[in-house]
Amino acid sequence: METTKVNAELQSQDSTSSPSGLKILWREIVRDKIALISLIFLVLISSFVFGISIILDQDEIVTVDLFAIHEPPGDEFILGTDYGGRDVFGQLIIGTRNSLAIGILVTLIAGFVGILVGLLSGYFGGHVDNALMRLVDFFMVLPTLLMVIVFVTIVPDYSIWAFSLIMAAFLWMGVARLIRSKALAERELDYVQASKTLGSSNLKIMLTQVLPNLTSIIIVTMTLQLAANIGIESGLSFLGFGFPESTPSLGTLISYARNPQTLEFRWWIWVPAAVLILLLMLAVNNVGQALKRATDARQRRG
Amino acid sequence: MWKFIVRRLFVTFPQILLLSIIVFLMAEMMPGDALTGLIDPNIDPAAIEAQRERLGLNDPWHIKYADWVSGLVQGDLGQSFRFKMPVSDLVGQRLLNTFWLSVATLIFTYAIALPLGIISGRWNDTWGDRLITGYTYVGFAAPLFITALVMLWVFGFQLGWFPTGGSVAPGLEPGSWDYFVSKVQHLLLPAFSMAVITTVSTVQYLRSEIIDTKQKDFIITARAKGAPESRVYNRHIFRNSLVPIAAFFGYEITGLIGGSIFVENIYGYPGMGQLFLDSVLLRDFSVVTVVVLIFGIAAILGALISDILLSIIDPRIRIK
Amino acid sequence: MAFLDVKDLKVHFPIKGGILQRTVGHVKAVDGVSLSIEEGKTYGLVGESGSGKTTTGRAIIGLNKVTSGEITFEGKDLSVSQKQSKEVRRDIQMIFQDPYSSLNPKKRVIDIVAEPIRNYEKLSKLEVKKRVQELMEQVGLSPESILKYPHEFSGGQRQRIGVARALALKPKLIIADEPVSALDVSVQAQVLNFMKDIQKDLGLTYLFISHDLGIIKHMCDDIGIMYKGRYVEEGTRDEIFNNPQHIYTKRLVAAIPDIDPKKRKAHQQFRQEVKEEYDKSYNDYFDHDGLAYKLQNISGTHKVALPQKG
Repeated sequence: METTKVNAELQSQDSTSSPSGLKILWREIVRDKIALISLIFLVLISSFVFGISIILDQDEIVTVDLFAIHEPPGDEFILGTDYGGRDVFGQLIIGTRNSLAIGILVTLIAGFVGILVGLLSGYFGGHVDNALMRLVDFFMVLPTLLMVIVFVTIVPDYSIWAFSLIMAAFLWMGVARLIRSKALAERELDYVQASKTLGSSNLKIMLTQVLPNLTSIIIVTMTLQLAANIGIESGLSFLGFGFPESTPSLGTLISYARNPQTLEFRWWIWVPAAVLILLLMLAVNNVGQALKRATDARQRRG
Repeated sequence: MWKFIVRRLFVTFPQILLLSIIVFLMAEMMPGDALTGLIDPNIDPAAIEAQRERLGLNDPWHIKYADWVSGLVQGDLGQSFRFKMPVSDLVGQRLLNTFWLSVATLIFTYAIALPLGIISGRWNDTWGDRLITGYTYVGFAAPLFITALVMLWVFGFQLGWFPTGGSVAPGLEPGSWDYFVSKVQHLLLPAFSMAVITTVSTVQYLRSEIIDTKQKDFIITARAKGAPESRVYNRHIFRNSLVPIAAFFGYEITGLIGGSIFVENIYGYPGMGQLFLDSVLLRDFSVVTVVVLIFGIAAILGALISDILLSIIDPRIRIK
Repeated sequence: MAFLDVKDLKVHFPIKGGILQRTVGHVKAVDGVSLSIEEGKTYGLVGESGSGKTTTGRAIIGLNKVTSGEITFEGKDLSVSQKQSKEVRRDIQMIFQDPYSSLNPKKRVIDIVAEPIRNYEKLSKLEVKKRVQELMEQVGLSPESILKYPHEFSGGQRQRIGVARALALKPKLIIADEPVSALDVSVQAQVLNFMKDIQKDLGLTYLFISHDLGIIKHMCDDIGIMYKGRYVEEGTRDEIFNNPQHIYTKRLVAAIPDIDPKKRKAHQQFRQEVKEEYDKSYNDYFDHDGLAYKLQNISGTHKVALPQKG
C-alpha cells in the first residue's frame, strides 16, 4: 500500500495539483545545494539564538554599564560593548531572536489576512473581487513605511503586538493578490463545481477544497515575505521606530552606526549585526526561491 | 485608448480622496492641534477654549475635513507647531532636494539596469551572467539601509571620495557653478546607493524578458532570414524588451519614497524623508500630515502614469 | 406532472463594456428551452459546442443562474435559492465531463466520495467508511483503494469515482455532462454500459448531454437537439434518427459514419445531398439572426422548429 503510493507520487509530474506537493518542495531544497545550506544555517542559527536566549538574562545585557563604554572586542566581551557599555554579542543574540520572532509573527498575521482576502476575492469573483481588489490597489500605492512610522508613534499603548499588527496592516496585499489569482483559476475547475452540486457551502468549499490546493504557493510566498519582513522590521528599528532600546533588534545595533564615530571607528557594534541581517535575509530568500522553482515545473531542477 | 485612461482616472480620484481622508483621520488621532504650539501657557484655559471654538477645532470631523481640504486646495498647508511657520515654507526647498535625489536615483537605476540586464540576457549562462545574477540575488535580499551605510562607510569615510552629509557645502553662493557642482557631488552617493538596490528588479525583468524573447518564433524567423546577430538584437529583441521598463518609473516612486527616508537619514540629506522623520520625532504632526499626503499623492500619480504608459505600449493591458 | 419539467428556460450572460463596465448586451446561452423527462428514462441533449446544452444542464442543477423560466422536479420548484432547495437538490446529482479536474487532487477517494454523505447525513466515521466501500464496489472499484488519491487511477477509473460520488446520496436524477468524451474510445463503451446497468438497478433517470450522436443513440429514449441556445427538434429516438424533419437534424444524422464499407459511396453521396439541401434552405429554417423558430408539434412526441412562414 505505502510503496505503491510512493511510486505513484514519483511518477506524478504535476506538482501543484498532486498531493506530493510538499514532498516536491522538500526535494527541490535538497537538490539545490545553496538552498540546503541556507536552510541548515537558518535551523542552526534559530535554534542557537532561541536556545541560548533562555539562559541569557536580557535585563542584564541591556543594563547600562558606564565603566565599559565602547570596549573593543576582547576576552570579557567577545564583540565588545556599545555606547552604554552593553555587551554587543549578547545584544546580537537577543536581537536576532527578536528580529526572527517578529518577522515570523508579522508574516503570519499578514499572511492570514492576505489569504483570507485573496481567497474571498478569487473564489467569489465578480463584485466581491472588484471591491476587494480596489482596496488592495489602494493599499499597494500607500507609502507603507511612512504609514507604519506614523501609526507606531500615535498608537496609545505601544507593544510588540501593536507593532506587529501595524506592520501587518500594511503588508498583506502581496499575498492577497497572489492567492486571489490562484483561487480564481482554481474555482473554474470542476471539482469546485462538483462540491457545489454535492451540497457543500461556499465557506466549506473555500476552506476544505480550494485552500489545500494552494498550500505550496502559500508556503512559497510566506517564505519570501518573511525575508522581506525581517528587512522592514530591522529598517524600522534602525530608524528608531521599531522596538524600544530595551528590546534590541538587529536594526537597533545598526542604528548606533548613525553616529559617524561609531560608523568609522567602532565596527564591532554594527558590522556583525549588518552581516547577520544580510545572511538571514539571503538564506530565507534562497529557501524561498528554491521553493518557488519547485512550484514551477519548467524551472525545477530535479 | 482614451477609454482606458478615463477608466483609470475613475480609479485615481477615489484613491486620492481616500488617501486624504485617511491622512486627515490620522492627523485627528495625533495629539495636539494648531493651537498647541501657538499659545502661551499662562492664558486662561477658557480663553483657549473660546479660541478653539472660533477656529472651528471643535466642529464634527467631516466639517473639519472639508475645511482642511479647501485649505489644501488653496495652497494652505497649515502651520508647523514647532517652528511656528507655514508648513509650505518648510516643505519647499526639501521637496526640491528630494525631487533631484529621486531623479538622480532613477537615472542611476536605468544606467545600471540597461547594460547589466542586456549582458545578462544576451549572453545568459556565461560567467558574466552568473556574476550579474549573483549581484541581483544579493541585492534582492540586502536591505537598503545596510547598503547605504556600507557605501557611506567605504566611499564617504574610508576613501573620502564623496561628502558624507548635507545637500551642499556651506558658504557657497546659490546659483554659482561651484554651488551646482557641490550639489551634484552631494547627490551622487545617496542616489547611487539607492539605485544599487532599486535597479535589481529591473535587471531581473530585463534578463528574463530578453531570454524569453530570444526563443520567440519571430526571432527565429529573423535569424533564418540571415539577419546578422547584432541586428537581431538591436532591431527586434531590445525594442521588445526595453520599452516596457521605460514605463516602470512611475511604479518606482513608491519604492523611492521608502528609500529616501533611509538614505536621507543616513546621509543627513535635507529632503522630505528627513523632514518626515524629524517632524515625527518632534511630534510636529501638522508637518507629518503634509509629508504623508504629498508622498501618497506622488505614489498614486506615479502608478497612474505608469499604467497609462504601459497601456500605450502594450494594448493587452487595456483589456484588464 | 412529469418527473423533471423545464419550461421556457432562459440563461443569459451579461456582456460588460464601456468605461463604467456596464452591461451592454447579453449572450443568450439558453434562450427558451422546454423539456420534460419521465422517471426512469434517459433524455439526451445534443448540440455542437456553444449550443447551450451544458448550460441547460448546469442551470437545472443550480450551477448557472436562471434568467427566467421554471424548473420543477417532482412538482417542487427548483428556481428558488440554493438554501431553500437544498433538500430537493440531493435527489439530483451530476457527473462531470473531465474526470481529472472534477476530483480534488488533494483529497483521498474516501473524502471525495463521502463529501455529499457528510453534507446531508449524520453518520459515524465507520458508517461513512462502510458506505464509501459499498459505493466503490458498486462502481466496480476495489473497496481497498479508498485511501488512494485520484492521480493513482486511470481516466476510466476516475470517472467511476465520479459516478460513485454522484450515487452516494441515492439520487433520482443524474445529469451526465459529456461523461465519456474525455475518455479513450476503448473505455467509453465500458463506462456507458456500466451507466446503463446502474440505471436499471437503481431506477435512475438520466439527463444525458453529449455532442456524439452515436452515444446518444445508444443511451437515450428521448432526444432534444439544440442550436444556438434553442431547440430545433425534439422527439423519441426513433423519430429523430429515422424521421428527422429539421434540416439541422438531418445534417447531424447524415454525419454519423457508416461502418459498412460497401455503402461508403452511397453514404457519401447522401451526405452531399443533405449538405446541398441545408445550404439551400438555411434561410427558410432559420430567422435572420440565424436562430431557430418556435417548435411545432407534428405528432404527440415529435416537435420541430419549422419555418413560420410555412
